[in-house]
Formats: sequence, C-alpha cells, structure tokens
Amino acid sequence: MNVIIRTSSRILFPFILVFGIYLALHGHLSPGGGFPAGVVLATGFILLVIAYKERKIEHRFTEVSFINLKTIATFALVMVILWGMAIRFILMDTQAPFALWGGGVTFVSNIVGSLVVATALVVIIYSIIKE
Amino acid sequence: MNRFAAVMVLTLFGAFIFMSVLLLPEFGSYQNKDVANYYLENGFNETGSANIVNSIVWEYRSYDTLGEETVLIIATIGIVLLVRRRV
Repeated sequence: MNVIIRTSSRILFPFILVFGIYLALHGHLSPGGGFPAGVVLATGFILLVIAYKERKIEHRFTEVSFINLKTIATFALVMVILWGMAIRFILMDTQAPFALWGGGVTFVSNIVGSLVVATALVVIIYSIIKE
Repeated sequence: MNRFAAVMVLTLFGAFIFMSVLLLPEFGSYQNKDVANYYLENGFNETGSANIVNSIVWEYRSYDTLGEETVLIIATIGIVLLVRRRV
C-alpha cells in the first residue's frame, strides 16, 4: 500500500483500540459488549496488517502470539462462564448501579469475551493474508 | 413400508408445528411474555448491569454464549488448518 494509507492507518490505530476498549469496559452500562468490542479491536490490527506488508509488521506482533493469546482467553472465558456463580458471589459487594466497576460477572466476561473475539478474527484474517 | 412410516411421521410433525403456529400470541402483544418481563423487572437488581441485553447475553444465557464462542473458535481452527501450509 502507498504512504497515505500507511500513515493514516498508523494514526488511526490507537483510536480504534481505545474505542474497542471503551466498548468492552462500558458494555454493562451502554450499548456495546463483548462481541462488538472484539470486532472493533480486531479491526485495528487487521488495518495495520493490510496497510503494512506482513513482513514489516511481523516483528511487532506475530501470528503465533495471537494464537497463544486466543488459547489463554478461551480458557479464561470457559472458566468465567463455568464458575459464574462463584464469581458473582465474590463480586456481590461491588455491585452498584451505573458504576464502572459494579458490573459483576458481566464486567469480567465482557473483557474476556472481547479478547476471544478479537484474537479469533485477527488470526483468521492474518492467516488468510499471509498465504 | 419405510416410506409410509416416514410420511406418517412427517405429517404428524407438520401437524404439531401448524398447531403451535396457530397457538402463537398475536404479533406485538404484550401478554404471555413472562420471561421478558422478568428480565426487565429483575435484571437490573440481580446482575447490576444497566444494559439488559448484556446481562441476558452474559448472565442469564451464558451457556448459549459459550456455545457461540465455541463455534467461533472451531471456525478459526478450521480456517487456520486449511490455509496455513507450514506450522
């Protein structure tokens, strides 16, 4: 890609990441949640991968690191959902309406679920582009 | 004989589906929606999340969400296995 696309994607990348993190953290208060946050987070990385050739981007983040992160996040999500009752019991005192840290299980699973979706989409697009 | 049995089973199944369609509540009616009303009344107090959709997705029906994520992970594994030549 040419220099305009490369520069604009490099400038846009942190803003896309911040928007995705905002969607994940604010999922229990405003429209958003795990799935849209993961898709937005993946969009940033996919934009970088498409704008730069993957050879130039590979020293920043490799596909294997995303696969490892996906494994960890999937395990964490399964654990969060299976032990949801225990986590709710632990976080019962912090539950408060309209508070950022008061989401309880929803807050935790939003973050973990957004990680799972983001890494899955990045791995899909990255492995397709690479070949 | 097999065909006759299959036709009978399918006819019975279709009759049940047709009856259940006839018994559906009217479109847009507010009655017979106990689950939705329960979520709207108690979801905020039980989960502490102001976003009712999010509390349904991640708390009341979290096993369904776990299945969705499993589908996503399996699709990812399939695509990676199909596309990548070297490991």
